[in-house]
Amino acid sequence: MNKISEEQTIAPTAPKPGADGKASPLNAVLIAEDDPIFRRILDSWFKKWDYRVTAVENGLAAWEVLQKEDAPQLAILDWMMPGMDGIELCRRIRSHDQGVYRYVLLLTAKDDKQDVIAGLEAGADDYLTKPFDVDELRARVRAGKRILDLQAALIRAQGALQFEAAHDRLTAIWNRGAILDLLIGETERNRRNNGSLGVIMADVDFFKQVNDTHGHLVGDAVLREVGRRLASALRSYDSVGRYGGEEFLIIVPGCDALNLVVTAERLRRRIADQPIDTSAGPVPVTVSLGIVAAQANESRLIDPEALLRDADAALYAAKAGGRNRVETAPAALATGLHGD
Amino acid sequence: MRFSDIEQTLAGLARTPVTPAKLAGEAASWNRAEALDRIGGDEELLQELCHIFLEESPKLLQRLQQAVAAGDTDGVMRAAHSLKGEAGYLGADGTSHAARQLEEMGHNKDLSRASDTLAALEREIASLHLDLKDLAGAQR
Repeated sequence: MNKISEEQTIAPTAPKPGADGKASPLNAVLIAEDDPIFRRILDSWFKKWDYRVTAVENGLAAWEVLQKEDAPQLAILDWMMPGMDGIELCRRIRSHDQGVYRYVLLLTAKDDKQDVIAGLEAGADDYLTKPFDVDELRARVRAGKRILDLQAALIRAQGALQFEAAHDRLTAIWNRGAILDLLIGETERNRRNNGSLGVIMADVDFFKQVNDTHGHLVGDAVLREVGRRLASALRSYDSVGRYGGEEFLIIVPGCDALNLVVTAERLRRRIADQPIDTSAGPVPVTVSLGIVAAQANESRLIDPEALLRDADAALYAAKAGGRNRVETAPAALATGLHGD
Repeated sequence: MRFSDIEQTLAGLARTPVTPAKLAGEAASWNRAEALDRIGGDEELLQELCHIFLEESPKLLQRLQQAVAAGDTDGVMRAAHSLKGEAGYLGADGTSHAARQLEEMGHNKDLSRASDTLAALEREIASLHLDLKDLAGAQR
């Protein structure tokens, strides 16, 4: 099952992969060096290579910089610094690495072979001996950049996969698994809070006719637009997912019975008011909606299956009552309604 | 006139402009070409680094002198380490070598011969300062 964070309630309309874009930490470098000559050399070169440079004089200051959000992913650390030396800093970086890997280049003196070994063991990715020249540093920084770029690509791919795993391919709203997870999450929350929860089941009326008359491509366009309109008519903390073929499930947390009717009516109108533009011209579409407003102390407030069953029964009633309408499930636990 | 004298004169003429300071500098305390090569031929940066060294090295030397006087081996090691690195970058081998010896003494916690080496280091740095002032400033 997909774990979905609660912030992510409404479905984005397009995949939003990796979280980079603006000022990328990929083109930033942290230089921790107490010696003014080497600090100046490094600062001058990295600026020439279009890096955003943060230069500090000791390990503690470097550690503070690394705690910030969007901290540089490339760190050049001098071995010998007052306060916290490069090796200790390296260990700290590694023991706190979460999610984003930092590429650490350690600076040592020519004759400190033991230092080099200890440095690599402490988690440095590479080292550079003083006095280093500009070409050598450039080459080693490039090697580091390759690793960081690879990492960025992996994070992007991971983000895209996570999106795909939780979203419906056609409509880009939550898929069935994800919307059910969200429903379960809401009932779990109500187990603690005893609040209220609205559930809406919406089904496109006469969808088979759209497919039969205009073909599946037009049918797909209709489903995409219905999904988009439903999502656009909801609050940011409501959720909509594709429950089945032409069936949509909407979760409206913290909603009393009256407000839920208003919400469902708004959804109905958002679909019915304007025909949907397709390659076959405008296609008038309506939806039928079955709603359940579970209030505090109702047993179904914490029972996702009961909520789905009741919403489905109300939807059936809306269909039977003539379609393009909203029907509310009775407040009591409805058991006998669920016929065919 | 001996042949070797002529040779020397010709060699001197081949390098222009020839100033006493330049000849003395190249013979002595640092290797400007090597340092410049390391930073990719960036003259401006080299000037800047020389000035930083002229400013910083007296402080480091003072720290080193105090640490030797106080028998502070860790202090000797650290100050000498910094001097070694900076001088090494500028191709100032004499200074770098003496500083390295002191760093090792500090590391081995044996300062019995540190005074002599410190004196040698002071001479090297003094000569380096003179050359840096001449060359860093003169060759723009």
